[in-house]
Amino acid sequence: MLFNSIDFIFFYIIVTILYFVVPHKLKWVILLAASCYFYMAFVPIYILILGFTIVIDYFAGIYIENEHNPRRRKLLLTASLVANIGILFVFKYFNFLNLNVDILLNKFNYHNPIPYLTILLPIGLSFHTFQAMSYTIEVYRGNQKAERHFGIYSLYVMFYPQLVAGPIERPQNVLPQLRIRHKFSYDLMQSGLKMMLWGFFKKLVIADRLSIFVNSVYNNPDMHNGTTIAIASFFFAIQIYCDFSGYTDIAIGCARTMGFDLMRNFNRPYFASNIQDFWRRWHISLSTWFRDYVYIPLGGSKVSGKRRYLNLFIVFLLSGVWHGANYTYIVWGMLHGLYSVVYVLIKPYLRKTPENKIAGALMRMGNIALTISLVTFAWIFFRAASLHDAFTLIRNLKSFGARPFIGDGVSNFAQSVLAIVLLFILEYKIEYYPEKFNFFSSPNVILRWGSLAFTILWIIVFGVFNGGQFIYFQF
Amino acid sequence: MKNNLVIRFLIRLAAFSLVLIAVDRLVGFALKKIYFNQRVGQFSQTTYAIDSARQDIMIFGSSRAVRHYSPTIISGISGLSCYDSGRDGLMIPYSTAIEEISLSRHIPKLILLDISPRELGIDKTKYEKLSILLPYCEEHQQFIKYIKEVSRYEPEKLFSKTYPYNSSAFILANNSLFSKSVEKDDNGYLPLRGAMTKPEVEDYIKRMTVRSKRIRQNTELAEAKAVNYLKQFLDNAAKNKIKTMVIISPTILNNAFYLDNQTLERDLIEKIAGEYPNVTFLDFSTDPRFNYHPEKFADVFHLNKQGSEEFSTIIAQQIKANL
Repeated sequence: MLFNSIDFIFFYIIVTILYFVVPHKLKWVILLAASCYFYMAFVPIYILILGFTIVIDYFAGIYIENEHNPRRRKLLLTASLVANIGILFVFKYFNFLNLNVDILLNKFNYHNPIPYLTILLPIGLSFHTFQAMSYTIEVYRGNQKAERHFGIYSLYVMFYPQLVAGPIERPQNVLPQLRIRHKFSYDLMQSGLKMMLWGFFKKLVIADRLSIFVNSVYNNPDMHNGTTIAIASFFFAIQIYCDFSGYTDIAIGCARTMGFDLMRNFNRPYFASNIQDFWRRWHISLSTWFRDYVYIPLGGSKVSGKRRYLNLFIVFLLSGVWHGANYTYIVWGMLHGLYSVVYVLIKPYLRKTPENKIAGALMRMGNIALTISLVTFAWIFFRAASLHDAFTLIRNLKSFGARPFIGDGVSNFAQSVLAIVLLFILEYKIEYYPEKFNFFSSPNVILRWGSLAFTILWIIVFGVFNGGQFIYFQF
Repeated sequence: MKNNLVIRFLIRLAAFSLVLIAVDRLVGFALKKIYFNQRVGQFSQTTYAIDSARQDIMIFGSSRAVRHYSPTIISGISGLSCYDSGRDGLMIPYSTAIEEISLSRHIPKLILLDISPRELGIDKTKYEKLSILLPYCEEHQQFIKYIKEVSRYEPEKLFSKTYPYNSSAFILANNSLFSKSVEKDDNGYLPLRGAMTKPEVEDYIKRMTVRSKRIRQNTELAEAKAVNYLKQFLDNAAKNKIKTMVIISPTILNNAFYLDNQTLERDLIEKIAGEYPNVTFLDFSTDPRFNYHPEKFADVFHLNKQGSEEFSTIIAQQIKANL
């Protein structure tokens, strides 16, 4: 079920009412049943895959906790991780690997006897697999007690607001919340609804508007000149941010209305002044997952220089692979790995921000612009359908034609530009003046209701209502 | 205490909803006024095509219909009045919707349908764009079945009086505030200015050749629903015994549909047209009077004023000979 659908609105209202109406001991049942229904709205049969990993990890958690022999504990953890990664591999990477074997064998005139799997990738598989893995790892590390209640554990993996596109939660944050007696809170309800509204705004007014132009360019990479490609790539950078952070806002807001507190996933990433800063602000739940479960176990920054750079590069390479079985994502990850290594290398030689206010602001602006440019360049690989398309686009970037393509009419392009300007103003306000102009929570009822009504009407007037699913659902 | 909070929340939510509904109606009313008072631009053309057009010759189609057929030239040569109901970016489902509503009001002597093979391909945007019919649904219930193609809940969304004007605000503002600078149409015809250059055509050929290699392996068949819309369009004309010309207008390249992997759809249009005795099929896509003549094209998809006037003359002569 898509958040940006009428079905979801009905679903959300019914589930939320039921959640507050039923006695505390049945709340988890309501949420679990709702989560199953939510997931089964995509491809019903795939609930079995989730069920399989849930059973494995549930028992793995208990066995790991009960086991005192370190070797056996490690073995149990490995078995659980292999099962999770195995499922991910079969559904997400098997055909990709098989295709590469095919190409390789063809070069030597051999036939690849392994057949391709005719299966669809279950929605959000990478997200809930990572969330499930974090549970067994935390139990193994002794940071989390194994959950004995099968229903509660299932809900930890399946909690519908963050089931298909995160935030990728940790058991320490979510599991205790699933046992708390959540009472109706006026403040949480209204704050959650406002957050959802802002998420819908980002998705419908900005992301889906920009996608119209981006799709028309990226679906025809051979047909456009450099100016058009540069504009489309910048638009995509904004689109993917609003699409994903919009989804996250709806997820966090939706959970908040029921009293749950999910982790923050974005912190205005395009105000980052360097690539490290960017990754502290972008998809925080995934970045911290890789930090805690890959980078630090590899030795993190406490190892020699060369090893540290390698660790950094590996983390970003894995992040690329996590996104999808396509060389485009791998190159995207490698590019970010390269950016990060270069940044760490040159960081000691970078000039400190000047004390002069204007010079400092200019330097910061320059750094932000450079970071956005690097990130946007990497997005070309992320968005392109294939490496061939990506290189075609990059090659065509050099050909600056006289007339850039503006897509399906001036109106759509103008609305896209307006959407970006609006986003910039709002994000700038939150970044630099977080306490000022908070109309949504103003004590003045006219201002508060007026701004809320204005936002809803803006969505109705300028939103795109057939934009389709969220980009990150495919991962 | 808990119940008080819930009641307080529900009362405020209800009050806010009422405010929102009131504002929505107010803004919707204003937008409706502005929309139906448009004197220039494509909204006014659509309103005219839906509510008023009673010409002898009615032209339907997408942007290539709007840009390629001059009613003045066609009327001048054929002696019949003519209106161009085409609209940019819209395809066969839209043509069928407009034809259906037009025929319920007036039976023309001749219908011209400008169609591109692309319109029969798999592309959901051709249905999404039917949302431009939303402002007319209140008056014309026949459109409800078409807007259901946009999404299942589209009729329910019409509870909002602002929603029918979604994504129109910029055009409405432009056409109202700067109506003098908006180009006036000639009975729906809006020629494009400017001309392509030889290097632009050469560049296009190069890009199309690269693209054709990439998409050659695509073996998608024509979309059944779009084919049905074409058949429905021709059925409507046949039921009313209206002579119909199905036209593929000129393209800059003589193998455009081959390069675009659309020969199958092109042949299907010819085959379907051939099933109706009242229908004449004309394909100008390989006409040497237009192929590789950049001076007659504004861009790779559309003739410019010079090209469209020449093309309109050819069409008008065909009409004169056939009627």
